[in-house]
Amino acid sequence: MRIFRVSRQAGSALWSQKGKAFLMLLGIAVGIMLLTAVVGLSQGVEKRISEITALFGPRAIVIQAGGGRFGGPGDRSASSSTLKLEDAMAIRNRLSERAVVAAAFVTDDIPIKSGDTNAQTDVMAADPNFPQAYDWYVASGDPLDEDDERAMSRVCVLGATIARNFFPEQDPVGQRIMINRVWFTVKGVLTSRGTNAMGFDMDDRLWIPLSTGMRRVFHQDYIRNIRLNVRSADDVAAVTDEATNLLRDRHHIRTPEEDDFRLRTPDFIAQRVRSMARTTELVGAALATVALIVGGVVLMNILLLSLSERIPEIGLKRALGASQHDIFAEFLAESIIVSLMGMALGVLLGLVPVFLIPKLFPLMPMAVTWRTFAYAALFSSFVGGIFGVQPARRAARLDPVEALR
Amino acid sequence: MIELSGIEKTYHTGGVDTPVLHGINISIEEGEFVALMGPSGTGKSTLMNILGLLDRPTAGVYKLAGQDLTKLDDNKLSTIRNKRVGFVFQLFHLLPRVSVLQNVLLPFLYTDPYPTDARDRAQSLLKGVGLQDRMYFKPNALSGGQQQRVAIARALVNEPALILADEPTGNLDSVASQEILEIFDRIHAQGRTIVMVTHEAEIAAHASRVITLKDGCIASDEKRGS
Ligand SMILES: Nc1ncnc2c1ncn2[C@@H]1O[C@H](COP(=O)(O)OP(=O)(O)OP(=O)(O)O)[C@@H](O)[C@H]1O
Ligand SMILES: [Mg+2]
Repeated sequence: MRIFRVSRQAGSALWSQKGKAFLMLLGIAVGIMLLTAVVGLSQGVEKRISEITALFGPRAIVIQAGGGRFGGPGDRSASSSTLKLEDAMAIRNRLSERAVVAAAFVTDDIPIKSGDTNAQTDVMAADPNFPQAYDWYVASGDPLDEDDERAMSRVCVLGATIARNFFPEQDPVGQRIMINRVWFTVKGVLTSRGTNAMGFDMDDRLWIPLSTGMRRVFHQDYIRNIRLNVRSADDVAAVTDEATNLLRDRHHIRTPEEDDFRLRTPDFIAQRVRSMARTTELVGAALATVALIVGGVVLMNILLLSLSERIPEIGLKRALGASQHDIFAEFLAESIIVSLMGMALGVLLGLVPVFLIPKLFPLMPMAVTWRTFAYAALFSSFVGGIFGVQPARRAARLDPVEALR
Repeated sequence: MIELSGIEKTYHTGGVDTPVLHGINISIEEGEFVALMGPSGTGKSTLMNILGLLDRPTAGVYKLAGQDLTKLDDNKLSTIRNKRVGFVFQLFHLLPRVSVLQNVLLPFLYTDPYPTDARDRAQSLLKGVGLQDRMYFKPNALSGGQQQRVAIARALVNEPALILADEPTGNLDSVASQEILEIFDRIHAQGRTIVMVTHEAEIAAHASRVITLKDGCIASDEKRGS
């Protein structure tokens, strides 16, 4: 087709002035490099969010004791006794139709021991609803049940890592393990959840009945968190509001006062993760835009400057039958081809940080998807198209008689 | 084949009107070899540009093969230029960055549909002008006479009805000029219509008709028996 023949002319014209073509594509390459890195970051953030959401539970709400900010210092000590078992009961009474509610007392670095094996681990004292509330069930043995809760039984359910470390040879079910100097019998082993997005092993923990934990092991009258697993995803926001209002009522908190509890939903976490990357993304996007515009202007000016050397060629082609449209297309194609080569270089350069940064900083997520390439192609051809119009129009409008003189 | 009636051309540059052609009436039959002569600045090149559809007359009617060209747009004129007109310039005008063969193929860039035998045609024309060994050379590796022969092959490759040559030997020595003129004689013998601008009577002697311009008007128009 004619357009391909004309584009090949553009390619051969560029090839004959490689140095100049390289200068033309440089600015665009820098812009596309930045764009690739920014898109890589935002894709990485979205990927990280979906991982976190999947782990957290897409329909989960977690209420934690104590005010303070997520990700900030928080306050595990001072006001961390603000959540009571009665709060969990009240929420369960109000919302049992719409959500599974489980209360838990969580402690970390508790010494555990069995035979010659010692470790320090997280102990979760949770009510019998926890498997449904966490969507996390036993792989072998039995779950903790109402009887254990009522009787304050000294029984536990192990995370997969603990089961493997403490009982590599035997079946853990029925074995005994000492938790904080109290002997427990292993009732079951949970399915494996692997590592979370922050690199934390979710299976390195064990579970005991809430009543046992509060009264027999840790001697506390408060709980650490309440987890709700909402039955319908559409209901998460409404349940969040109701639980918040209920707790504020129960804790006598009036409007201007801050909550003495923190309420987390997947949406909330997604927003927090996004907002951590937002500044970097905005700065990167702004730099990429500036670089692309500067690159486009440089491209346009080099094309305009080199037009004078091309005048005889343009005159000749017009004499041989090129219309104004053909000349326009040929020069626009030059601009777009240069931009696409700039894109190729820019994507290559941009993929370096996309692959390198997560290796150096594991918390900085980066990902490559089809969007990376789609955006690069879109923006570079856009820049080439826009900034190529002026030189192409000038070339097309040359008077062929003048051009041939 | 060519009918010019009342052709006028006035250049407007910098607010000044320069009248160049004053009511030119010429009719050229198919197969004629016309030499266009006249003093410098009388408008020969201007007339050639109008004949080649590179420029439009200010007034008058130009008919090529019965078709009135005065009202056609740039796209249509370009198509006609591509298919029916072949140019040979004084300064050869070859594209330096591509080979001799690619130069001959240049007109086909703008020919739809692209002829399947384009390459064969270009090669046989280059053979015809004795350049079969130089097809893959760059133009600047060729002598002036050879370059002009490439330009003639290029002018002929789309089998145009009309060949326009503005002082095609103006930049060549007498030996090379002689070779070029022999080629033109051959093209003429094949029945193509040629209009050639020249200042030299010996060159004009190859033509079947000599038109002399003076001050933008036709001063004489002589046909010769060949
Ligand atoms: N673009 C232009 N603007 C103004 N005047 C022009 C322009 N082009 C040509 N002329 C004038 O028109 C006249 C005819 O020019 P043209 O090139 O047709 O002459 P010519 O017969 O080909 O001369 P030569 O034998 O020297 O090539 C000249 O006086 C020239 O100065
Ligand atoms: Mg002239």
